[in-house]
Amino acid sequence: MSVLLEVTAPTTAIEPRRAWRSFLRHRMGLVGAAMLVLAVIVAVAAPLLAPYDPYESVRVTILDIYQAPSSAHLLGTDDGGKDVLSSLIFGARVSLIVGFAAAAIALVIGGLVGIVAGYRGGWIGSLLMRITDFFLVIPDLALQIVLVAIIGPSLWTIIVVIGALGWTTTARLVRSQTLTVRERKFVMRARSIGAGDAHILRRHILPAVLPLMLANMVLVISLAILSESTLAFLGLGDPTVISWGQMLNFAFDRGAVSAGAWWALLPPGFAIVWVVLGTTLLGTALEDALNPRLKRHHLEASGTDVARDRDVPPLPVPTAGDTAPILRVRELSVEFDGPRGPLRAIDRVSFDLRRGETLGIVGESGCGKTTTILGLLRLLPPGGRVTTGSVWFDGEDLLGLDGGALRSFRWTRLSLVFQGAMNALNPVRSVGDQIAEAVRLHAPRTTKTEAARRAGELLERVGIPRRRAREYPHTYSGGMRQRAMIALALACDPDVIVADEPTTALDVMVQAQILELLGGIARDMGMGIILVTHDLGVVAQVCDRIVVMYGGAVAEENDAATLFRAPQHPYTQQLLLSFPDLAHPDRPLRGIPGAPPRLDAMPPGCRFAPRCPHAFERCRVERPPDYATDGGRAACFLLDPTEEAGA
Amino acid sequence: MTDGALLRVEGLVKAFPGSRSPIDWLRRRPASPVRAVDGISFELRSGEVVALVGESGCGKTTTGNLLMGLIPPSAGRVVLDGEEVGRLSGRGLQRLRRRVQMVFQDPYESLNPRMTVSDIVAEPLRVHRVVAAPGPELRARVERALTQAGLTPVDAYLHRFPFELSGGQRQRVVIAAALALDPVLLVADEPVSMLDVSIRAEILNLLSALAREQGIGVVMITHDLSTVAAYADRIAVMYLGRIVEHGPTREVLANPGHPYAQALLSVVPVPDPSVRRRPVILGGETPDPSRIPSGCRFHPRCPVAFDRCPIEDPPLFEVGAGHQAACLLVEEPARPGPVG
Repeated sequence: MSVLLEVTAPTTAIEPRRAWRSFLRHRMGLVGAAMLVLAVIVAVAAPLLAPYDPYESVRVTILDIYQAPSSAHLLGTDDGGKDVLSSLIFGARVSLIVGFAAAAIALVIGGLVGIVAGYRGGWIGSLLMRITDFFLVIPDLALQIVLVAIIGPSLWTIIVVIGALGWTTTARLVRSQTLTVRERKFVMRARSIGAGDAHILRRHILPAVLPLMLANMVLVISLAILSESTLAFLGLGDPTVISWGQMLNFAFDRGAVSAGAWWALLPPGFAIVWVVLGTTLLGTALEDALNPRLKRHHLEASGTDVARDRDVPPLPVPTAGDTAPILRVRELSVEFDGPRGPLRAIDRVSFDLRRGETLGIVGESGCGKTTTILGLLRLLPPGGRVTTGSVWFDGEDLLGLDGGALRSFRWTRLSLVFQGAMNALNPVRSVGDQIAEAVRLHAPRTTKTEAARRAGELLERVGIPRRRAREYPHTYSGGMRQRAMIALALACDPDVIVADEPTTALDVMVQAQILELLGGIARDMGMGIILVTHDLGVVAQVCDRIVVMYGGAVAEENDAATLFRAPQHPYTQQLLLSFPDLAHPDRPLRGIPGAPPRLDAMPPGCRFAPRCPHAFERCRVERPPDYATDGGRAACFLLDPTEEAGA
Repeated sequence: MTDGALLRVEGLVKAFPGSRSPIDWLRRRPASPVRAVDGISFELRSGEVVALVGESGCGKTTTGNLLMGLIPPSAGRVVLDGEEVGRLSGRGLQRLRRRVQMVFQDPYESLNPRMTVSDIVAEPLRVHRVVAAPGPELRARVERALTQAGLTPVDAYLHRFPFELSGGQRQRVVIAAALALDPVLLVADEPVSMLDVSIRAEILNLLSALAREQGIGVVMITHDLSTVAAYADRIAVMYLGRIVEHGPTREVLANPGHPYAQALLSVVPVPDPSVRRRPVILGGETPDPSRIPSGCRFHPRCPVAFDRCPIEDPPLFEVGAGHQAACLLVEEPARPGPVG
């Protein structure tokens, strides 16, 4: 399934606006923020809101103690005869001050440790991280109790103790983020410009780390408030100030339970839960929005990857025969869910593949080559589905298969080779093992030794010495991994191999080796091969037929020789002109100005019209149908015999 | 050619300390150093484009880093405008950084996603305190650099984030940032290998125009001979840390002297299926630079190696005017064809 990961590879970068939108999606985060803001308003406006001043000493009589809620005391009175509501309101101040101040301390310590450990690395980094680990494993509460008891319970002691013990998670988070950013190419580029550490830290590391620290801070605040309440409840709070924990402590110690004075117990408990819940909700939402590693895709799986229109009758089953194509793709369309309705990524693509034939699918990136392959293999990522067409494989409609039938089909009759072979090989199993497993999957009755022998043969077939079967993928070079992938694809003895950019990112010499290998396999083993690539040189070298795709549709199709000798579609012509040709090294290269159309901004007429040097009025309003060319077809009005422009 | 050389590289060597496996350690074998760059020399004049071509592991990227002064050489010299790069430190190095700029391979990764185009292009100016504070002067210089890199109208790009740009536009932003400091030398490490073929031409045209029109020297590092064929004035083919062939582009393409260069040329895909060539596909891959073969370092993979090759390390022999190749067959052309 690594193919899906490649297609939807998330960008690790999250820029401000996107993060904000992502945050807004979290309703619970907004609720949390509202809860926290309310608590802050109450704390700030305490003198205005509280009906009494809880710090004022008043004469109390026995009758004032534990008065039930009344109009004079909305939440009743406590053990000292004071108004619970007023204490609750003023208590918010202490809880929030402790929370914010302790979190600030934790953040400064944790941030510094994390950045230094991540940026400097080396022995300093290791030392700092060992210290962090040490603090992480000692039980916070026990140490807090001991420290507060030794130093004496004052508000500042409590803040410092909580802050000084609560920085470990921040440090670890900041360190890992710093490490990641430090290795990014843009930091390397800044260094090559001549930027010093101060500049890199200020302009590149901090902006990437701060949002995470912000999210983390909110969570640290909730922990600090909880710690303060716990300490105060245990009688280690500052006796001169009123906090929620303190209120609970007094109420429990002084008979509120036996007096049945629930009003002295529930409100402070509720207030603690309110603030902690609010900060936790907010912090989780912020973390989700700002931490790139937790980012999820918000595409919903549509449940089915095939949703063909029932009104369109299925195309007739092609008659099977020796000369009949092994694979016939007819009118295949793929749609993705967009923010404003479905977007058509692939539009009525058709082509055939015969046994022993190599078919090239070429085009710029974003022209739908890979999506076509994923659509016909039923490997579309969530949110994508096939909406029209059929895929006949040896007389069977692939789009009609489901579940187990589809899986076994994919494994045994059709194999895939991707770009970036490292991702597709399991790093913790030897290469030979993985191939042997595939062999046994195809033929379950094969014995283990037989499968291992076959794996060795396959490796030799792709030019890897048999003895290296026992080695793990990481000991292989890039070219050898790609060979191993091909061996893996051959293990099931498939009828068709689909290779998606199999040589991109490989050196030219290794590329030549791999192409020769693929060509040899098609020739000797009579397999059909589909080669997806943006490299015209590669298709020229090994392909028999070529399909040129543009904007999700087939622009031109022909046998390789004709297509290169006499390209009919202006896109093919332009693509050829932009390709360097060592046979004519003096010919200046011409790029194609502009870029392929985006899915949500498809031109109404011919998709290539905006970049086409020959486009005329009709091209901008009408989609060109396929016109027959010498040996193939091309979708261009210039080929319409009734058009004068075509003459 | 020595006169007026902008960049002179003389006998440059970079050896990295090799790693020792536990077995090496048990056998008390010392770590063998990895000679990534093993004695290369070349020159570059202002306005000239030189391509360093070779497969991965040939030392071309290390050479680029040495030219940039990002790592110190183990031996040899890099002289820019009469000043030795490896000797510089502090202010001198800072001044060098202003005059030599790098264009990186991956335009998707080499731009900070949180910075706007104008911040990115202004960054080098601010790092070097050329223009200390934001203001009309900084803006003018940023706009000039964007214009030079072909990102016009500049207003359409100034406030965009990298993710809003296409690959080609991003690579232009990278180039604009490099141009902001008015460099005399650009080191472009695989500047187009991550881009679509249809976009490569624009970027290569831009780099060669900068060389031609503004007299900037360009060192292009690439594994793909075909992309530089139409743009480089000279080509230096590297193999295992050495330059094995060096000469004017046309000469090297038409008449390659070294079997490795011949093989490399023969496998470059030609977009014409009617051309039936006989590609010389070398077996295996570039060997580990910690175990450089004896004699000619190419002899284990060479299709025409003969008895002298495993013993003698060939120097660069003249093939034609300004065209050299490090192959004993150049010295001894009468040798019959392949031996082993």
